[in-house]
Amino acid sequence: MTSYAAKKVLRAVLTIWIAVTITFFLLRLLPADPTLLVVEGDMTPEMQDALRERYGLDKPLHVQYGLYLSQLVTGNLGVSFRQLAPVTEILLERLPWTLLLAGSAFVLTVLAGIPLGVYAAVGRGKKIDKVVQFLGTTSNAIFVPSLAILLLVVFAANLDLFPIGGAIDRSTRGLAAYGSLFHHLALPLLSLMLVQIGPYALTLRTNMLEVLGEDYIKSAKSRGLPPRRIVWRHALRNAILPALTLMGLQLGTLVGGAVLTETIFAYPGVGRLIFESVQQLDYPVLQGAFVLLAVTVVVANLITDMVAMFLNPRIRT
Amino acid sequence: MKNTTSRLRNGAAAIAAVAALMLSGCALNEGTPENEAAGDGESLTMRIGTTTDVANFNPLQSLSKTDNWILNAMYPHLLRIDENAEKVPELASGYEYEDDGRTVIFTLRDDFVWSDGEPVTSADVVYSAEATMEHQLGNVAAKLTWVESIEAPDDHTVIFRLSEPYAPFAEGVGFWMSIAPEHIFAEEDVTTFANDSDWVGAGAYILESADAGQSYTMRANENYPYAPEGGAAVETVEYVVYPDVNTMILALQNGDIDLMASPTPASALSGLESDPNIGIETVASLGFAHLTYNVTDELLAEQEVRQALSMVVDTEAIIATVLQGHGQEMVGPISPVFAEFDNPELERYPFDPEAARDLLEDSGYTDSDGDGFFDDLTFEMVCDQSNANLTRVAEVIRDDAAEAGIQLELACIERNTFLARTREGDYQIDLSQWGVFDNPMDQLRSTYLSSNPGGINYNLVEDPELDELVNVAATTVDHDQFVERIQAIDAYVHDQALLTPLYVEDFHFAYRSDRFTGFQPSPSDLLGMVTGYSLSQVTAAQ
Repeated sequence: MTSYAAKKVLRAVLTIWIAVTITFFLLRLLPADPTLLVVEGDMTPEMQDALRERYGLDKPLHVQYGLYLSQLVTGNLGVSFRQLAPVTEILLERLPWTLLLAGSAFVLTVLAGIPLGVYAAVGRGKKIDKVVQFLGTTSNAIFVPSLAILLLVVFAANLDLFPIGGAIDRSTRGLAAYGSLFHHLALPLLSLMLVQIGPYALTLRTNMLEVLGEDYIKSAKSRGLPPRRIVWRHALRNAILPALTLMGLQLGTLVGGAVLTETIFAYPGVGRLIFESVQQLDYPVLQGAFVLLAVTVVVANLITDMVAMFLNPRIRT
Repeated sequence: MKNTTSRLRNGAAAIAAVAALMLSGCALNEGTPENEAAGDGESLTMRIGTTTDVANFNPLQSLSKTDNWILNAMYPHLLRIDENAEKVPELASGYEYEDDGRTVIFTLRDDFVWSDGEPVTSADVVYSAEATMEHQLGNVAAKLTWVESIEAPDDHTVIFRLSEPYAPFAEGVGFWMSIAPEHIFAEEDVTTFANDSDWVGAGAYILESADAGQSYTMRANENYPYAPEGGAAVETVEYVVYPDVNTMILALQNGDIDLMASPTPASALSGLESDPNIGIETVASLGFAHLTYNVTDELLAEQEVRQALSMVVDTEAIIATVLQGHGQEMVGPISPVFAEFDNPELERYPFDPEAARDLLEDSGYTDSDGDGFFDDLTFEMVCDQSNANLTRVAEVIRDDAAEAGIQLELACIERNTFLARTREGDYQIDLSQWGVFDNPMDQLRSTYLSSNPGGINYNLVEDPELDELVNVAATTVDHDQFVERIQAIDAYVHDQALLTPLYVEDFHFAYRSDRFTGFQPSPSDLLGMVTGYSLSQVTAAQ
C-alpha cells in the first residue's frame, strides 16, 4: 500500500515537471515577442534590447530554462514582465477569489449532481430520469461564455436581481459584506455549476443502474432492508468510485471554465489573470499560473486516487 | 433515534461552520476605504469602466494604454493634447527653440504641487528625462534620442541640448513624458520600483487605493491648476475593471458605471444611441488603416502596379459598409486629423478597376491564358485576423482587384503570427492599421526613412530622395516652412503610391448623459475621455 502511494506521488511530481516544461517551451515557441507587444508607437532597437535583457530573454533557451527550474525549486516563480511585482504575490492576491468560485462550484456540483444521478437511476424511465438525462446532455454541450452572457442579461441587466460584475462591494461591512460577496458570487457560480453538473449526474446514473442490478443488492432487497438504505448506503458506495475519478478530471475543466467565467463576470480570480497575461504575453505570470493549476489538478487527482484506494481495497494491489 | 441524533449533530456542525465563517469574516473588506455614495450633491463620484487592471504603477515604466488612463491623470506632462490633436501647455507654460533648433527651452508653471506638499520643479523634469534615457524606459526614450544634455538653470526652466535639430522634439517629449516626483523616485531603483502604494502625484486626480482585479479609486487634486474655480466637480473617480466589453456595456446601461474608457464597438452603438440616458462622444483616431506595399518585391517595386492597386480600393464604399459611415477618407499618408499638414492639393486615386486594368496593359502586363488575370500579378495580402473590420475590407479589395485582373490571396492570420511576419518583412501587401501617431513628422520618419528608426518602415523602402525630404523636414524649425515640407512629403509618397490609405476610424465613447456633462475628449482611444484635464472639467448633468 505504501509503495502504491509512493508510486502515485512520484508520478504526480513527474507530471508537474512535464507540465512546467511544456508550458515553458510552448510560450517561447509562440511566434511573438513580448518586447514588441509592450510598446505602442516608436520602439528603438536599443529599447528592445534593454527590455529583452530586463526580461532575461536575451539568454539562450536552455539557460533560461535552467534558471527557471532552479528558481522554481526554491519556490520562486519569478517577477512579472508587466507588473514589477513577484508572481507569487500576484497569484496569491487572486487565488482566494478563484478558490471561492471554483471551490464552491465544485462542492455544489458534486452535492447536486450525485443525488440527481441517483434519483434518475432509481426512477429509471420516469419523468425525473428523462429530465436528468436531458439536463445532463445539454449541460455538457453548453458553451460557458454564451451561458454567462445570457445569465448576465436576464438576471442582472433585465431583472436587476444581481450585480453586473465584480466580487464584492467595497463599501459594505460585516454581515452586509458577506451578503455582497454571495450576491456577486451567485451568477458566476451558477454558470460554472450548470456546465459541470451534467457529467456527474450521467456518470452516477449509469453506475447506479449497473450496481442496482448486482446480486448483493438483490439479496439485500430479499432480506427486506429498506429501499432508501439499500440505495444510499450499499449501492451508492460502489457506484461513486467512477464519479470520484471524474472529480479529479473535471477540476481541469472547471479551471478552464473559470478563465472564461471570470472574464465575463469581471471576477478578480486567477482565471482572468491568465486571460490578461495571455494578451500581454507576460511569461512569468502565465508560467506561475500554469504551475499553480497543474499542481492543483495533480494534487486533486492524487487525493481522489488515495480516497478511491481506501474505498476500494481491490485497487491497492 | 440514532438517526435523529446524527442529524442533530450534523445540523449543529453546519451552524457552527457558518458561524465560524461569519466571525472570521469580520475581516472582510476591512482596511479598504469606504466609497462615498455617488451623486449626493456635494461630492460627485464618477465610475469609469476599464478593460484590464493596472499592470504597472510606475509612470516611467508603464507601457500600456489602460495603465496610462489612470497614470496620465496622476502625473503631469509638460504638454497635453487638446480636442484638435494639438499640444497645448500643461506643466510647461510654453517652450521655444534656440540655436537653430539645437536648444529647446521649456518654461514651467510655478503652481503645480505634489500631493505631499513639495513643489513641482525643473529638477523633477530633469530627473524623469534622465532616468528614461539612462534605462531606455517606455516609448519615451525614443522621443529623447537627440538629447545630449539637460540643464535646469532655475526651478522653472528646463533646457534640452540636442545633437541635431528635430522639429517636433518639444511636442513629443512634452506630450509623452510623465513627470515623476524626483524626491520619491530617486530614492528607489527606477527599473524595479513598483510604486504600488502611497501615491504622490500632481495631476488632476491622485490614486488613493487599488483593489487588484476590481477597482481603482482616485481623488481630485485640489491644487490642480486647470481645475475650474472652486475645484473639480467630480471629486472621486473610481475605475472598475470589466475585461469583457459586453459586460461593461451592460454595466453602463444599468448605471453601475458612468463612462466607458474604452471605445464602444460599432455593433453596440445603435443600441446605446437609442438609450435616452446615454450620450456618445465621437473622436477621430490618431492612426489609420492602410495597404502598404513591400517594394522589395519585384512587381510591387513598380510604381504603376502600386498605382493600379490604389485604383481598385473603393474607400468610400468601405467606409459606408464596413465602418457603417463611422470614419473619414484619407488621400495621402497624412491623416486629416492633422488638418494643417494634410496637403489640400492631392487628389485621391479614383476607384476605377477598368482604368487600373488599362494602366497595367499600357505598362506591358498581359493575360496570356485569358483567365481574366494578368500573368504573374498575384499578391499575398496579410492582415490581422483579430481586426474584424480589416478582414472584411480584405474581401472587398480582393473582389475589386479581380475586376482589374489582379489576383489577391488573403492571409488574415492570428495576430502574433501577423506581427512576426510584418516584423520580418515576410509579406507582399500589408493590410493593417496604425495605432497612434501623435504628429506627422514622427510618422513619416518612422515609416519612410531607410535607416528605419522606429522599425516600422513596412514598405522596406530605401529611397535617397525620400530620405532627403524626411531628414530636411525633421530639422526645419520654422513652422511655416516645416508645414510646407511635410506637405511635400505627403505629395511625394502619394505619387509613389507607397501606400493606399483606407480610412481614419471614428471612436465612440459612451457615458451616462443623465448624470454627467462637459467632457473634453481628445482624439483616439489613447486617452479619449479620460484625460485628467477632461475629467476635471466634467459637471453633474441637470
